[in-house]
Amino acid sequence: MCGSAYKNRPQPNYCSCVVPVWVNERPVREILTCQSPRTTRTHPRTARRRPPWSFSVARTPTDSIMAQRRSKNKSYRQSYRSCLGAASRLSHTPGWTARRLNTSRRTKSHNITEKVNPEDLALLVKTEWQLSYVTPLYQFRHTQLRSYSRQLSAFITAEKQQGLAVEVEGAQTSFRVSFSAVQGLGETDDDAETVLLQIHSKPVFAGKDEAQKLVWSGWLTCINGNPEYLHLLPKDFTCLPLFGSRGAENLTSLVKSWFQQTFDCCFGPLEINQTCLQWLAALWTNCHIESSIQHLKMIWTLPVEPPLQITYTVNSQDVWELWNSVRNPSLESREEEEAARSIDIEEVTRFMQGLKSHFYRHFRLDLSAGRLSQVSSALGSAKFSGRIKMSNSRYVLTTLTLLTECALLKMPI
Amino acid sequence: MGSMDNTAKRLLQRLVRRIPSQMLKTTLDKWSRLTAAQRQSMDYTESKWALTEKLLAICEENELTVKHIAELEMIHVIENPNLGMWYVFQLMDPQDDAHSVELTQFKEQFKSHLSELIRHVSIKIKKHTDEAVWIRIAWGDTFSRPNHLKPTYVVHYLQTPYVFLTSPTSKQKPLLSQALVLSTRYQAIKDANLSGRKLTAIRDLLMKQYLQVFPTKFPSPLAERNCVVSNLHIEKEQAGSAANRHQMACEAFGDGILPQLQSAVYKLETKFRDHTNKTMTERDEPFKCVVKFASTNLLESLRHSASSGVASTPVTPLLSSVPLKGKNYFVITDNGPGPSSQMKPSQK
Amino acid sequence: MSLLKPFSKLPGLNTANILLVESEEQFQQSLADALVEETSVTVNVRLAKSLPLPMENDESRPRIDLVVFIINLTSELSFQSAEASLKYLDPGYFLGKVCFMVTNARNASSPAERLDAVRKLASSLHCPLLFAEDQTPDGVASATERLLTILKVAAGLVPIATALYVSNLTRCTLPLDIDLPSFD
Repeated sequence: MCGSAYKNRPQPNYCSCVVPVWVNERPVREILTCQSPRTTRTHPRTARRRPPWSFSVARTPTDSIMAQRRSKNKSYRQSYRSCLGAASRLSHTPGWTARRLNTSRRTKSHNITEKVNPEDLALLVKTEWQLSYVTPLYQFRHTQLRSYSRQLSAFITAEKQQGLAVEVEGAQTSFRVSFSAVQGLGETDDDAETVLLQIHSKPVFAGKDEAQKLVWSGWLTCINGNPEYLHLLPKDFTCLPLFGSRGAENLTSLVKSWFQQTFDCCFGPLEINQTCLQWLAALWTNCHIESSIQHLKMIWTLPVEPPLQITYTVNSQDVWELWNSVRNPSLESREEEEAARSIDIEEVTRFMQGLKSHFYRHFRLDLSAGRLSQVSSALGSAKFSGRIKMSNSRYVLTTLTLLTECALLKMPI
Repeated sequence: MGSMDNTAKRLLQRLVRRIPSQMLKTTLDKWSRLTAAQRQSMDYTESKWALTEKLLAICEENELTVKHIAELEMIHVIENPNLGMWYVFQLMDPQDDAHSVELTQFKEQFKSHLSELIRHVSIKIKKHTDEAVWIRIAWGDTFSRPNHLKPTYVVHYLQTPYVFLTSPTSKQKPLLSQALVLSTRYQAIKDANLSGRKLTAIRDLLMKQYLQVFPTKFPSPLAERNCVVSNLHIEKEQAGSAANRHQMACEAFGDGILPQLQSAVYKLETKFRDHTNKTMTERDEPFKCVVKFASTNLLESLRHSASSGVASTPVTPLLSSVPLKGKNYFVITDNGPGPSSQMKPSQK
Repeated sequence: MSLLKPFSKLPGLNTANILLVESEEQFQQSLADALVEETSVTVNVRLAKSLPLPMENDESRPRIDLVVFIINLTSELSFQSAEASLKYLDPGYFLGKVCFMVTNARNASSPAERLDAVRKLASSLHCPLLFAEDQTPDGVASATERLLTILKVAAGLVPIATALYVSNLTRCTLPLDIDLPSFD
């Protein structure tokens, strides 16, 4: 949710504080995030056109001073909120985003090699990405990618040169950024086209003829984004909520800060939570018949002293049979095909329960006391810390759909 | 060209890199291959690179060879037994005179047996203060000289059936086993299925050198210590069962500070039994999986999970077998002997 | 199985008794230490891992005025344990003498579904749901303060207010849309 984004990455023009309060005789604890007048930002025009989610609203009886400083958008938000009654989640998110937790998903494998440029696809799979979420981009144009490439190159070079006493000859060309759109990856018309970023650089002491090396890559995507949410976005905003990056940490933060300045958006860490990891375990296992998963490996962390890590690796055939045994009996006739393709959260829960009970029967140790922190198979790996690797292009879309959903859940309203 | 060949130089370089600067002085002092004046001339605040150059020059001057450098390495390894991975092997069926084997005899026997089995081998044996015999073996083969860069270390406590090894390859293991069996006057040797990064910890575990707790009908001081009332107005309703859990956890894993074991691995090939899942329960094939427990101190983690209730008590024999049998690798099947036969159907 | 009953014993003079139920037995200790610091009334704290409570303590146990279930949202077991304990409470307790307190609600590793499940549980039982922060002294202090407010009412130490009345105002209500089908 919005609070967590700002909490982890304090910015000079945000102030946030935790206020435990009672609201309507109901205790709520909210993070109050309010924005000071935007003096430091480079685009004053956006200040007038703040989208609703730029402010996370805290309804506390004590913050009247804060309330006075709020813009019109906020009162709109509040009235919108109050007409929806009790807010869900952490008493924080108004109604229409509350129910974006999917309880069922389709699992058809997508042979996207025909739709998507294989080179682009090759970049996406088989590497581990660090995930973040991004709030909608203001005035992002897919037609301007070339100009963005130039701007970001210049930005990185400028930032890198900060603190250098003497200008280094030819340093302008040391970083080359390329933006490109990956066509054919999106599932629906609402999904904005995926954007791929690559940064090439020449080592400082490299010879003249030496080729530039790829030092950083990243992408922004939206696959099967919640149409309700996407339609509610004001014009001029592009929603590419999922950001994956690979490469030097300082380049990642430079790219992020350029995006923040240029498109007035926010980045935050995207953890892959337990439910999501369980989904992935089930989705991968479900694919075993089409493409071998080799094994299903799960890592649990138990909160004992010192922390106990349990790696539970199950034979692919056995885990697949277990998965089959917990599937809902498929519906008859024409619905059969559809049912075979869709997975229900109850099935996932039963599946995990089966694995846990087999474990408990041997070790009398309840895995529910801990948390699932990693899932991997031949099809990919996912870690709680937000690292994902997709090893098979056929399941890229399924995985990205799930992750897009996780990222959208992080959007401040 | 001096006495130091390429191998000797690389071995020395690697050693200096590995030994922390503050420890280098004491290690070199123990080595006793440098004269007092040479030791005095060393400046330990210099960079590792400079120290290496200096040492190389001294070694050339003293005409030291790779064997001498190997001695230095051995000193370092003996002083730091908790680096690297150690595997435990157990000697079986002692002969009548096995108990009377003493150091000189063992040394002689081991050297001659191993040299008989393999032509190019370099063996160094040293007795450490705590009764342990340390052996460093650099292996060669029929055509090549012993490789001092990849030695195997063997630690054996005389009059005990345990042998600790680092990095033995499958080719060397049978040779080493044979030499060990012959020189210790045993008849066989087997893998004890125990390994860990800390030699002292696995030794303590095998020799039960930790505070063990035995089952008793009477309330133990353990239980009483646990019920200390912090405040008159605070009362623990389930203090009794908490003390009970703690007692059982200590009975299974021991009390106080426990030997630092890093992991335990279970290879399970047992039937899937779950009354809620008929299909899987009726399946004939076993459910194959591997479970690995890992922690900075596995036994303490397990003890805490049992005493805090994360693991149900009494502790399953599968887990308590780690300290009880001194093993951390188990293969569990349904019909085989061992802990699996004591398994009860799901309690869940 | 023995039910814990709210009115089977006589209340003590200017005394309030609270039972903290937490399967992990982590937060309850620091809460208890803070609760007994209260000076205006005598607060007795009983700690339990789960219900039912052992029979042998029945005699010594005072009348429990408020039962608090502490749920750590990062642990599934914590929730399951609280859920299983509920059936050992006399229905009379649910007239304002039970509350839920969750910790780690903002922790990234606690799935949103679990908070929803706790909400549903609390609202179906008409109990208040408190959010607490267990890592900092400030968090413990504010959680203690809230519990004391409810406890004093539940123990009948606040003139005019009754537990039933207050619980009508403080009980957890469910968002209208919590069970709406998702998109897709």
